[in-house]
Amino acid sequence: MAKNLRSKLVITPWIAWLGFLGILLLGGLVAGILVFWKGLGITNLTDLVPWGLWITIDLSSIALAAGAFSLCAGVYLFGLKRYQPIARTATFVGLIGYTMAMLALILDIGKPERFWKALVYWNTHSLMWEVTMCVILYLTVLVFETMPILANLEWLRKRFPKIAALMERVHHYAPFLAILGLGLSSLHQSSLGAVYGVIKARPFWFKPEMSVLFMLSAIVGGISLTLFASMLASRLTNKAKVNDALIERAAQFVGYLLIGYFYFRAWDALSMTYTYDPGRSEGLSLLTKGPLAFNFWIGEMLLGMIVPMILLLYKPTRMNRFWRMTALLLVAAGVVAFRWDTNITGFLVVMPYISGQAVAYTSYRPSLIEIMAGTAIIAYGLTAFSLGVKYLRVVDHSLVEEEHAKVKVEAIEPLTV
Amino acid sequence: MSEKNVNRREFLKLTAVGVAVAAGTHAVTSTKASSDAPKGKHQWAMVIDQSKCTGCSYCTLACQAHNDINPEIQWNKVVEDGTVGDMHVFVPRPCMHCEKAPCVEVCPVKASYYREDGIVMMDYDRCIGCRYCQVACPYDARSFNWTAFTGKNPAVPEWGTPEVERRPRGVPEKCSFCYQTIDRGLALGLTPGVDPEATPACVNGCPTGARLFGDLNDPESIVSKMLHENPSYRLRENLGTGPRVYYLPAIPEKKEA
Repeated sequence: MAKNLRSKLVITPWIAWLGFLGILLLGGLVAGILVFWKGLGITNLTDLVPWGLWITIDLSSIALAAGAFSLCAGVYLFGLKRYQPIARTATFVGLIGYTMAMLALILDIGKPERFWKALVYWNTHSLMWEVTMCVILYLTVLVFETMPILANLEWLRKRFPKIAALMERVHHYAPFLAILGLGLSSLHQSSLGAVYGVIKARPFWFKPEMSVLFMLSAIVGGISLTLFASMLASRLTNKAKVNDALIERAAQFVGYLLIGYFYFRAWDALSMTYTYDPGRSEGLSLLTKGPLAFNFWIGEMLLGMIVPMILLLYKPTRMNRFWRMTALLLVAAGVVAFRWDTNITGFLVVMPYISGQAVAYTSYRPSLIEIMAGTAIIAYGLTAFSLGVKYLRVVDHSLVEEEHAKVKVEAIEPLTV
Repeated sequence: MSEKNVNRREFLKLTAVGVAVAAGTHAVTSTKASSDAPKGKHQWAMVIDQSKCTGCSYCTLACQAHNDINPEIQWNKVVEDGTVGDMHVFVPRPCMHCEKAPCVEVCPVKASYYREDGIVMMDYDRCIGCRYCQVACPYDARSFNWTAFTGKNPAVPEWGTPEVERRPRGVPEKCSFCYQTIDRGLALGLTPGVDPEATPACVNGCPTGARLFGDLNDPESIVSKMLHENPSYRLRENLGTGPRVYYLPAIPEKKEA
């Protein structure tokens, strides 16, 4: 009997993968319950470092979800129609990214049951309010944009064919959704940088280029993650089918974008050396010579920008799938490093409020609870993407023909001049 | 023909001037409107004379008791700032109640707001606990309730009795200039800064009289007079936040006198 059971339970790599993610999710569930029950006191956050690991996950998920708006804008607004299958994957990745951000935020705020108040009591002065509104509205847009993808669920098609057909119909409004997505994303992706950029109490952040950097890095990282995820899925399962030529072209575009991102980031760091400015200069020292130096020089600059730039712009390495995947993953990781460095550096430098006093320093290391909950948020993203690939054909570049409605324009009369 | 031309030119000029004036007026009024600066009858302010402050922290203890504060949190911190001659100099730091408060500007739900009398208030029932105000405050004047304060307040009853509700877990809190005392005192016809029953606990608790409180709109108030007669400064003035807490710098001769 027991032997029979065991022979039925074949542990495929798929089951093992889901099991592994399940364990991480379970750990996160425990951590999450503890946070709601005991409060944020069980984290390593302090009055000096009130935003830590979770805010980085929140910022990174939103940044790496930016492939959705940028590729949808490209496909539906700028006429790059052949990238539609990639935009489709990006939309799904976007939906995952924004829901991940929501999870992180709900954990992070002190009064999660009051989150709706931002929708009722508007402080239009507040960047945080603007970001909250945009994120909620854009998440709604993403839900609509994902409808045609969700309509691919076999069960839904069989059980509720009419609903599935209705959901597919939403695709006809894709260009309008793309306009909304572009507008809302341009607003909040840059405003997330401005959340830091307007804080005049902390000179390390107080600069206008924060918005530009956040926007640009989000586009670069977002497209990279979508391309990487598509390639990885196509290698692991035959449920995912990619048009490699398409990905290769998009990857080359990422390579060019990286030049711009590198220019702005390097310029941002270099301009901080121009004069001594209390707080800003100390922040730059932490970033370039202190505890964050490895993150900055290796994580952000070398592996996050320069190496992938070369790998993606040099044709032989770009044509090689392994190097292309490596480069795309490095870009995404580099953007995460940028978010972490930016957030944490501003806090590690403690500004004196008494004139003449020297800048002080503090430290932060996430607690086990923060790490467990954070890992679970990432595991949720991986689970959602894996299920999407398997059941919703999220990565399927052969779908284009049947999915995309074609508009036939027939000439009634040949033009005569 | 030429007359018509002149007319047209004059008309254009007039239009341009009109538009410019309208735009200018609009710009000025909208700047005023967006600043939201409180314009009430009273404008409360605090003056702290560093020549008189001995760093005893009685003000802190009075504050802890009257506002029922978790001992892990201090609304009113007294920090030592070196010496002038052989005199130790202290900087007591309540909330600055800024005229252009970064915390009010960044709060997504308007839980931080200005009262008409200039006090920067917190609506603890509306706050969602995002801590953006804490990040934005240039004076570290805000503390987050990482845990709930349920135990006994060690400052009670020796230093006073609580006058306000304890704040719940998950919201930041800060000094409120003891608004409850001011409001109660005004209702009784008393003058804040003159009558102890209408004056913030830290001012009443100071044994050396280093803290003064009063109305900036009243030229006869003690704060107006002190600021008129003495040189003063405010913390991180270059940020343009316009603190309502003024410091009279420490002068050793004044202390001996």
